[in-house]
Amino acid sequence: MAEFKMFEGCMIGNRIPFIEASCRKVFDKLGIATSQAPFSCCPDPTGFANFDNDGWLAVGARNLALAESEGKDIISLCNGCSNTLKLVNHTLKHDNLKKDKINQELLKIGKEYKGTIDVKHFVSVLKGELEKIKSSTVKPLSGLKVACHPGCHYMRPSEVMETDDPMHPMDLKEIVIACGATVVDYGEEVLCCGSSVSNAYEDHGMAILKKKMDAVKKVGADCLVVNCPACFQQFDGKQRDLSKKFEEEFKIPILYISELIALGMGIPADELGTKFHRTRVSDILEKIG
Amino acid sequence: MATDFEFRKQVLDMHMSGVIKYCYQCNRCTDYCPVAEVTDNAYNPRQNILNALLGFKDAIFSAEKIAIWGCTVCDTCDEVCPQSIELTEIFKLLKNQSVINGDAPDYYYLQAKTIFENAKAVPPQPAIERRRQQLGLPAVAAPDVNELTTLLKNMGIDKKLKGE
Ligand code: SF4
Ligand code: SF4
Ligand code: SF4
Ligand code: SF4
Repeated sequence: MAEFKMFEGCMIGNRIPFIEASCRKVFDKLGIATSQAPFSCCPDPTGFANFDNDGWLAVGARNLALAESEGKDIISLCNGCSNTLKLVNHTLKHDNLKKDKINQELLKIGKEYKGTIDVKHFVSVLKGELEKIKSSTVKPLSGLKVACHPGCHYMRPSEVMETDDPMHPMDLKEIVIACGATVVDYGEEVLCCGSSVSNAYEDHGMAILKKKMDAVKKVGADCLVVNCPACFQQFDGKQRDLSKKFEEEFKIPILYISELIALGMGIPADELGTKFHRTRVSDILEKIG
Repeated sequence: MATDFEFRKQVLDMHMSGVIKYCYQCNRCTDYCPVAEVTDNAYNPRQNILNALLGFKDAIFSAEKIAIWGCTVCDTCDEVCPQSIELTEIFKLLKNQSVINGDAPDYYYLQAKTIFENAKAVPPQPAIERRRQQLGLPAVAAPDVNELTTLLKNMGIDKKLKGE
């Protein structure tokens, strides 16, 4: 497999780097090679794009140009980043007027984006390595009941993301199954985590989060698996507030899919930095043994 | 309610194919919208599409902020719309205009300012840099902040920022 430029995104890189740690360890085991580039913020498809669309396109295009100058595709660890980079890439590849307009701006800073590279979410890449994941799993996680949350921007908008079924996603589940764990359906798989609306309207985000966690709790899942740092922060960081607000206990462990795979590979939890989770994961670590 | 034809043209130009004209107000977008559900339709994507299509600029921009900023951008409406209207693209146009009007919620101005000044929405912090080391991670490759600020300045983004 050709080397990718790693786009860890600013949330993972500068706030929850333990997620990058598990991703890198899993990539190493699977032979997925990456290198760094001085990327800026992607920028946020739910924030900055709504602030100024052309500015968002230009910053995104500049990131794409950095990878293109080395002739490499991008691998993203985050739904938001892969959403932005894929949307920008799609727009510039299909709309010549926009492409010219954005390139005029890039030219002033000595850059250009020709439109020759692709962007991949790491889950799509892992989905192509199911056999390898199976064969490198030394601790089958059988008995572990896992609820899956791929997150909106892994697969929507579908005609641009081109990953999974937008309303019945399967990729994340297949990876969980490859690890030997058991997927439990909870009926709200495609419901948003509420992160984005929380930025301006905290209460509404919490109401959506409640609906989600109620469903996960009801089916008795041991953990909820995610593949986006914003979803992770919403679930991992806000369950305590949720418990307070609704006077009901929510403490479902949240695992990044890379952490689940790494645990199955026998990589010690210490090396993964699982102690930095806000919602304790000790119950599942015990269960896995 | 008065139609603003200039604004209406902007809306119609968003989709080359003009699909927004085919909105028949079936309400599927709102039925599936997680925010409409928890706000009793105080946030209502169908209503936004109708107002945009009719060019009812005032109805959109003088309403409570939540009328356009309540969206959590989950892109569910885009998928379920039987007419394949990319609702969130229209909503982006509305929000970009609201930013220019100076009416967006503070968060959006703050995030844009952070990106403008740091080239990252989440800037580096010494404690996390140490944690990266402990975890055996390489340092994050630092972005060229000057270059990014220049790019955004050339595009007039600095004039849209707020606060100090
Ligand atoms: S969208 Fe989010 S994760 Fe991606 S680079 Fe920007 S702030 Fe970081
Ligand atoms: S679930 Fe929330 S954080 Fe995750 S992709 Fe959707 S909006 Fe973003
Ligand atoms: S789902 Fe589509 S057609 Fe139906 S009301 Fe919403 S925008 Fe209009
Ligand atoms: S993208 Fe916005 S309007 Fe559409 S369903 Fe999601 S929250 Fe509702």
